[in-house]
Amino acid sequence: MMPWLRGRRPLIAASAALLTLAAIFVPLPARAGTPQTRTINVDARQFAFEPATLDVQHGDTVTLHLESLDALHGLSIDGYDVNIQAEPGKSANVTFVADKAGTFKFRCSVTCGALHPFMIGKLTVEPDLPLARAIAVTLIAALGAIAFFWKE
Amino acid sequence: MRREIFALGVVVLSFVVFPASLFAYQAWRTNALDARVIELTANVPANGGWQPDTIRVHLGERVRLRISSTDVVHGFAVPALGIQVDEILPGHVEEVEFVASRAGRFPFACTRWCSVDHWRMRGVIEVIDPQNPNPASPTFAPPLYQQLNVNIDAAHPARNVPSEHPSAVRGAVLAEQITVDADTRTQSPSDVFAKLRADAALKSYGDLQLWDAIAFEWKRAAGDDAIARGRQLYARDCAACHGESGKGDGPAGRNLPGRTVIDASARRGPADFTNAAQMLGASDVLLQGKILRGGMGTGMPEWRSLYTDQDMWDVISFIRGFVFEYGMSDKK
Amino acid sequence: MTMSRFELTRIPIIKKILASRWLQWSLIAITLPVFLLSILAGLFGTPAGSRNFGIVFVWIVWWALLILLMLPFAGRLWCAMCPIPAPGEWLQRRALVQPRERGRLDTLGLKWPRRLNNIWLQNATFLAVALFSVVILTTPMVSALVLALFAIIALSISLLFERRTFCRYLCPVGGFIGLYSQLAPIEVRVKNHAVCVTHKEKTCYVGSDAGYGCPWLVFPAALDKNTYCGLCTECLKTCPLDNVALFARPFGADLLANKGRRLDEAYKAFIMLTCALAYSIVLIGPWSILREMAYAVGSMGWWLYAAGFLAVNLAVVPGIFLACVLVGKKMGRVIASTRKLFVDYAYALVPLGLAAWAAFSFSFVLTNLSYAWQALSDPFGWGWNLFGTANWSWTPYLAGWQGMLQVPMLLVGLVGAIAVAFRTAREQRASPRVALPIVAFCIAFTLALVGLYL
Repeated sequence: MMPWLRGRRPLIAASAALLTLAAIFVPLPARAGTPQTRTINVDARQFAFEPATLDVQHGDTVTLHLESLDALHGLSIDGYDVNIQAEPGKSANVTFVADKAGTFKFRCSVTCGALHPFMIGKLTVEPDLPLARAIAVTLIAALGAIAFFWKE
Repeated sequence: MRREIFALGVVVLSFVVFPASLFAYQAWRTNALDARVIELTANVPANGGWQPDTIRVHLGERVRLRISSTDVVHGFAVPALGIQVDEILPGHVEEVEFVASRAGRFPFACTRWCSVDHWRMRGVIEVIDPQNPNPASPTFAPPLYQQLNVNIDAAHPARNVPSEHPSAVRGAVLAEQITVDADTRTQSPSDVFAKLRADAALKSYGDLQLWDAIAFEWKRAAGDDAIARGRQLYARDCAACHGESGKGDGPAGRNLPGRTVIDASARRGPADFTNAAQMLGASDVLLQGKILRGGMGTGMPEWRSLYTDQDMWDVISFIRGFVFEYGMSDKK
Repeated sequence: MTMSRFELTRIPIIKKILASRWLQWSLIAITLPVFLLSILAGLFGTPAGSRNFGIVFVWIVWWALLILLMLPFAGRLWCAMCPIPAPGEWLQRRALVQPRERGRLDTLGLKWPRRLNNIWLQNATFLAVALFSVVILTTPMVSALVLALFAIIALSISLLFERRTFCRYLCPVGGFIGLYSQLAPIEVRVKNHAVCVTHKEKTCYVGSDAGYGCPWLVFPAALDKNTYCGLCTECLKTCPLDNVALFARPFGADLLANKGRRLDEAYKAFIMLTCALAYSIVLIGPWSILREMAYAVGSMGWWLYAAGFLAVNLAVVPGIFLACVLVGKKMGRVIASTRKLFVDYAYALVPLGLAAWAAFSFSFVLTNLSYAWQALSDPFGWGWNLFGTANWSWTPYLAGWQGMLQVPMLLVGLVGAIAVAFRTAREQRASPRVALPIVAFCIAFTLALVGLYL
C-alpha cells in the first residue's frame, strides 16, 4: 500500500511518463537543407579557443583548421572521434561529417598550463534536437510534478 | 592501553614514517644510479625558462638529466652532444643520460614552441676539465659573410624579378640545354640571372626559362635530402614566426617589429620568404649571416650557438623553395 | 508525523560496526595518509595540476565521492571520516580509541559566542574559498596551503573551544554537507523519546566511560534533522539504554516539515545554488574571459569578477527569489510573514541545489577522472610509476553522453524541489498557488543549466 499514490496521482504519473517517452523518442526531421562542406579556422591560445562556439548543420562535412598562437594545444570534441594537435608553425586540419546532432563540448587535449582543464568550447550541430527534447522533458516533468504535488 | 598504543602507532606511521618513506624512495631512485642526477625544470621564459640554465659537470662524468615541465609541452636539445628530447609533457619526467666526454660549453634549447618568448629558452652545459679549469676560449673562423664582407643589414632588392615564381620542375627539363655555372652559396639568384641573360648563347631562351633553370640549379646543388632536413628544421624553429607558407605571417611573429628597427619604412614583422624581389637579391651567404647572427632587435634570434653550418644551409635550401617551386611533396 | 523508516542497527553486523570504538579511528586511519599525501604532493610535487596527486585526489576523486555518492546517499558520512579535525579531537581526548574516564576532554573548553551559533561564518568561509576556487582548483601549491590552513585552524579551534566547534561553525565544506544531508536516506535518531525523558544522566550529551558527549554539540534526543549530526556514532555508544539507532528512511525526509528553518541555512541554499550555476558558466562554459578574470587574483578583472560573484550570490539570486515569494504571497492568502515565507521556501532549493552540483560535478569529474590513474602511480610527478599507470593517457569518460545523464539528475532535483515547495505551502496552511512562483524559479534555474550542459 502506497498512500502517496492515491486519487488521480497514478494517472498523472503515468501521463507524465508517457509524455516524457514521447518527447524523447518522437521522430523529428534532422535537418532542413542539403549538407554543405565548410572549413572553420580555430585559433587556440592559453586558455581559449577562438571562436569558442561553432555552429554547423547536421550532415555537413566540416574541416577544422587549428592554429596555435602560443604553445602546443589540442582540440578534441566530446562524442566525435576528433583529436588534433597544433603548435605555432605547425597547424593541423581534421575533416569529419557532423552526423550527430546536438551540442558537444570541445576541449584542449594537451596539458597547456593552469587553466588547461577549463579550455573549453562548444560545437552545436543544428538542429539541436537533444536540447529541444531536454527542454520538453524538463517542462513535462515540472508540470507533472506540479499536478502531482498540488494537493496532498 | 595496548589498543591505544596500537592506534597511536598507526597514526605515527602515517604522520612520520609514511611521508619519510616517500622522500626516501625518491632519494633511493636518485642515489642508486651510477650517474650524477640533475633535475632540470622547463618553464616558459616569462616564468624563468630553464631552471637551472647553466649545468656544470666534470669531464668524464656520467650525467643523467631528469627533465620536467611545469606548464606546457617543451622540448630539449643539446645539438653539440647529439641529445634530443622531442616532447616533455607537463608533470612527466623525461630522462636522458650522457657521458661528458669532452670539455667545453654546449648550448641547449627548448625545441617546442612554448610561448612568444620560446626562443629565449636556452641554457648551457659546461663540461669542466679539472686539470684545466679555465681553458682559453676557443677561436673560430669568422663566419662566411664577414670573410666576404657582406653587409647583412643592407637592403638587397633583386636586380631582376621574374614575372612568376620560377619552377625547378620546369627547370629540370632545361637542365640539358642551359648550363648554370654559378656558386649558389655566394651569388644571389638575381646576379646569376644577370650573368646568364648577358650570355649571347642563351639568347633564344626567355627570361622565365632562365629563372627556371636557376631554380633547378639551386635545388640540385642542395640535394633533396638537405631540403627535407631543412623542412623539418624550418617547421620546428622558423615557421612559428615566418609562417608555414613562408609569408612571414606566423602566429608568434605577429607583434615583432621586424626590419622596422633598421628602416622605419620597412614592413613590420618577420621576413616574407615568398617575396621574390627580396629573396632573389639575397645570396645564401647573406641569409646565413642573418640566421647565425640574429636580427639585433627585429625579433629574429641568433642560431650560431645551436645550428651547425650544415643546418643553416639546409634551412636556406628549404626556404628557397618558397620562391623556387621545387615541386616536392609537403609530406615528411 | 509518522514516516516509514527501518532500523539498520537491528542488523547485527551493522550494530557491531557502529558500536565499535574502532570505527571512526579506522576510517580516519585511511583518510589521514591520503590527506597528508595531498598536502605533500601540493607542496613538493609538480606544479602541473593534472599530474599532481594533491589536485587530482582532492578536487576530482574526493569531490566526486562527496557530491555524487556520500552526500546523496549517506549525508554527513564524510564528516565521520574527515581527517582535518582528527588531530585536534585526539588531543582534546588524549586518546584515539578508548575514551578516558567519563569521556573527559582536555581543552580550554571555551564556548563559541552565542551570536555565532549559526552557519553564517560557514557561508562566509565557503564564499571566501569559492572566490579563489579557480586558483585553488588548478594550483597544487595553493591547494595544499589551503588544506594545511584548514588543518591548522581546526587544530587551534579544538585546543581553545569545546568539542567540534570548527566542524559545526567554521568548516566551509561542513555547511553545505549539513544542508544537503537532509536529503540522505539515513539518519541517526533516538528510537523512543519517552526513554530519554526517564534517563537523567544524558550521557549522550555529557559523555560516559563508554564514549564522549556529542562532539557536534547536539542533544541526540532532540535530533529532528540531519543537518548537524556528524554521524560519529558516539551517542550509539554512550546511550546505556540502547535507545539510539541508525535508520534508513526515504530520501529528503528532513524537508517534509518546516521545523527549525533558519535564514542562515536558507542563505546556504542560495549560495550553493548560485555557485553551481556560476561554476557551470565560468568553468565549463565557452566564455574563457570569465575564467581568466577568476584566475587573475588581484587584477582589475578579478575584482570585477569577485564583486559580481558576491553580488549574485548574496543579493541577485536571493532578490529574485524574494520577488517570487512576494508574488506568491499575493497569489494566495497567507498569514505567515514575508521573512518566514522567504526562509521556508528556500528549503525547496535543497534538492535542486544538490542535483545541480551533482550534474555539474558529474561532467567535470568524468572528463578528468582519468588523471587519477596517473596521479596514483606518480603522486608527485617525479617520474615514478608505482602501479604501472603513470603513462595512461587522458581520456574523458562518457564524452558526448554526459548531458544525457546530467539532465535526469537535474530533473530529480526539480521534482524534489516542487514537492518540497508544495509541501511547505501545505505546512503553512496556505493555498498551493503561493508556491507557484517558487516553482517557476526552480524551473527557470533548471532550464538554464540544461541549456548550459546540452
